[in-house]
Amino acid sequence: MLIMGEVQTGLLRNLGELGEPKCREVLGLVSGEEPRTSMRPLPYAISPEQFTGVDCRLPGVSGARIRGTGTVAQHAVIVGGRVLQASAYATVVAGAADHRLPWSHYLARPGDIEVHGRPRWADMAEGFMAAEMPMDALNLSAIGGRLMAAVQESPHLDGKTPFKSTRTHLRWVLWRGEAGAPPLLLTLGKGSLRTLRLTGEPATDVTAFCEDLALHDWLLTTIQAIIQRALIGTAAPSQIAARLAPAIDHLMHLWMPGARVPDSYQHLWKELERRPGFSRQWASSVTRIRDQIAVNTLSLLSAAVMTESGHEPDGDISPHRGASQDDP
Amino acid sequence: MTAPFAEDTAERRVEATPLSHVSIELGHLYMEDYAEGRDHLRERFRQVAPWARTVRESLSETLPGRARISTCFLIDDYFSRFGSPAEVVPMVTEAAAESGLVVDYLARESGCARFGPVDLATLVLDRIVVDPAPGANGSRPPLTETGWLCNGQRGPETAHVEAMGAQPGWRPPVQNAKRRHSIFVDVELWDAPGGERVWSCPFLAAVWQLLRLGLLRYHGKAVAVPEEPGETFPAEWDALPPLLKLNPRAAPFAAYRTVSVLSSRFLPVELAVRTILGQVAVDLEVLRQVTERARAEGVPFEDELVDRVSYVFT
Amino acid sequence: MLVFAISDKGGTGRSVTSTNIAFRRALQGDDVCYLDFDFGSPTVGAIFGVRSAERGTERGGMHSYLQEKTEDPYRVDIWTDSDRSALRSRPPGAGQLILLPGDSSGGEFPASPRAVDRCVRLFSRLREEFDLCMVDLSAGRSYAADMVLAATARAELSDVPFRWLVFHRWTRQHIIAAAGLVFERRGLLDVGAAHGHDKTALAERIRFVRTAVVEANAPERSALRSTQLAWLDECDRDLHELARRHGVGRTAMLGKVPLDPVLQWREQILVDEDVYASQIANESTIRAFDHIATKIFDARAWEGL
Repeated sequence: MLIMGEVQTGLLRNLGELGEPKCREVLGLVSGEEPRTSMRPLPYAISPEQFTGVDCRLPGVSGARIRGTGTVAQHAVIVGGRVLQASAYATVVAGAADHRLPWSHYLARPGDIEVHGRPRWADMAEGFMAAEMPMDALNLSAIGGRLMAAVQESPHLDGKTPFKSTRTHLRWVLWRGEAGAPPLLLTLGKGSLRTLRLTGEPATDVTAFCEDLALHDWLLTTIQAIIQRALIGTAAPSQIAARLAPAIDHLMHLWMPGARVPDSYQHLWKELERRPGFSRQWASSVTRIRDQIAVNTLSLLSAAVMTESGHEPDGDISPHRGASQDDP
Repeated sequence: MTAPFAEDTAERRVEATPLSHVSIELGHLYMEDYAEGRDHLRERFRQVAPWARTVRESLSETLPGRARISTCFLIDDYFSRFGSPAEVVPMVTEAAAESGLVVDYLARESGCARFGPVDLATLVLDRIVVDPAPGANGSRPPLTETGWLCNGQRGPETAHVEAMGAQPGWRPPVQNAKRRHSIFVDVELWDAPGGERVWSCPFLAAVWQLLRLGLLRYHGKAVAVPEEPGETFPAEWDALPPLLKLNPRAAPFAAYRTVSVLSSRFLPVELAVRTILGQVAVDLEVLRQVTERARAEGVPFEDELVDRVSYVFT
Repeated sequence: MLVFAISDKGGTGRSVTSTNIAFRRALQGDDVCYLDFDFGSPTVGAIFGVRSAERGTERGGMHSYLQEKTEDPYRVDIWTDSDRSALRSRPPGAGQLILLPGDSSGGEFPASPRAVDRCVRLFSRLREEFDLCMVDLSAGRSYAADMVLAATARAELSDVPFRWLVFHRWTRQHIIAAAGLVFERRGLLDVGAAHGHDKTALAERIRFVRTAVVEANAPERSALRSTQLAWLDECDRDLHELARRHGVGRTAMLGKVPLDPVLQWREQILVDEDVYASQIANESTIRAFDHIATKIFDARAWEGL
């Protein structure tokens, strides 16, 4: 048995932070079913579980054609009224038969995919971590992408984002693994893809850990992109400050690793804090941003003093913001 | 160890409903049956009675002294209206009684579309997980024709072929879980002739089965809680509660499994019902509750929804 | 911002000019996405020097996405995936430069309501990430143009600014054709209005770009005889008059790109190296691209005519 999943993380298409009542409406994707929400330590909302039927090739590195039939579970999460995640995952189990059974059989076990024939767990786990899978293999990315779109297109959102950002995809697999496999291995792949190999007894509550990790990886990725684009050291302090502003306004308060992770997975966060040290990098990014803002404040102050004493200020202190040019 | 902190909205509560062992449906009639009068009704119930008795007896043998059995009857007031509850309800219960049948619960078919404030039909529609055709890997949304549900792959689409692309030739429809040869079923779930959605008879019948199996919840609460009748039956169908408990001593309405004694003219409808039920994903928590209770009671229990639904066709 | 690149006739240099504008914009710091909507011939990958997507992709491109065959259209990151080494390092401060190629061996397909829905979804999705989406459309009256006209008229995209660039060469035939594509029956304005656009507002979002222009002071002219020069000047005057009469005159023009041998012989992205190191391309060409790239976002260039 193994569990494979993918978490997509991106900015919610809404200019302001979305309050709890709105989050409930946006995530009310199934009639008669309430999203669950909580306010501590950070506003959080999760949609009811939905399922998608699949009957297709499962990934594998050996190129063997393994077929699986069943359902993929998916739900959406909004963190801090600001960040949207779509999580799609399935528990792959040995099948009851090596042919296709009536669909009601699979719906009696929602969230399971049954393998036709003998499963090759290691092959499947590695195949799912590959950057490019065969086009006909199970595509959790598309399932998550559709869920993401369904939420983003909600009429309760205003459709705009306060700044531009890239979505990330965290693809993960959890199974007992080969002897001696480390408890976790996170790899930053090409572009926005990250892969996470987890070793342990498969249980679906691991999704909470994967979503938490994906959120913090996205926060790091996004804040790094903001810093890189601010051209620190080249641009004028006021411009730098304007370009860094979204990080302060929308991201900094969201950093809370492990806040919603079940106790049984807390040790995995400890591993990641040790190496590569997620919070270390975050803290240094935050310090860097604060320093730049302080420099800008100082230059504004000194400019004000200079003007008062009749001198022309040096450098560019125009209030021009490097904000999006997305306005007509 | 209990958590030091909890938030109400973060927890999910799912109400449990009382359950009988079996729910027996005592036949079903079209409006023209009522129009044919009392004698015709008596004849219909006379055909149902021996089979209902047989179900009762066989269950009493497996669960001596403790078998909980309830009976029910569904009146079609959705597609056409006939008479008034004040005339029709007593006519039905009396005709049944003449064959020794007691109608414990009486339901209106409109209640399967909308039960009080609850849009039951949409609730079930949102829980359909479409039977995937071989090759469905999640890349495309399930191939659905709006308002239709099938058990396989339809023939090829002929529209929207790319320029200079190959025109697909004829291909037969294929059942997904076929046994060598296909029995392809395509069910119309609803149409909207005047803009307003009209649910099909098989779809409402599928909702009816789910109600009888006690598997539907609205925001975690049980739907279709039976009401006691008043002194008299009203003159308008809409004034009649959607589910009435006519027999005060009746066992619970919902049950682990259902048996419907039906005229064989309903065979195609019930094939459609099973096609729909085979694609409904019931709330995991409800499934778990029901399964655990059946196990605790030591009652034989089927995992698959469609296997909990059985018929006698007369 | 959505920018649609269109031309009435083939061979105007629409793709090579619009890719270069997109490239300049990314250099200026914008996150840029280039969409290949030339459905009958999806070959933009070649201009960016991406060998794996020279004739579109096998892994689900724009055709597949718009026809609901894939949810994740294939993306090519030019800064990392181009086979041209000059493009393969992202300069400091440059924005993203992503290509969304078409399907290899993809063909034209009708602009069905579902395809329009998908197109709306795609543009909304890309807006989360990019400052500029440059959409390269098939030449002439195409399904692609019909689809984006329908999509941009939809309420979901009502607050997304968009512009049209109509590319044409500086010849009689091209001027008449470009004007026809915009102003005549079943032209952009006509079809746009049918999809719910306000005709006047739409007209204000359309500008022309002249390509392969030989300027009066161009070095190529030095080899010509005086009679030839006089004749050329007369032709040029006639063309200006013709353009003015057809609504394609100076006021409706956003920019012009000089005739550059590199663009003629090999359609490619011009990098500074091509001008200063190998000196195969003209500096004026890059200046023209930069000029258009800036003007696209300059509100003054888009005020009512």
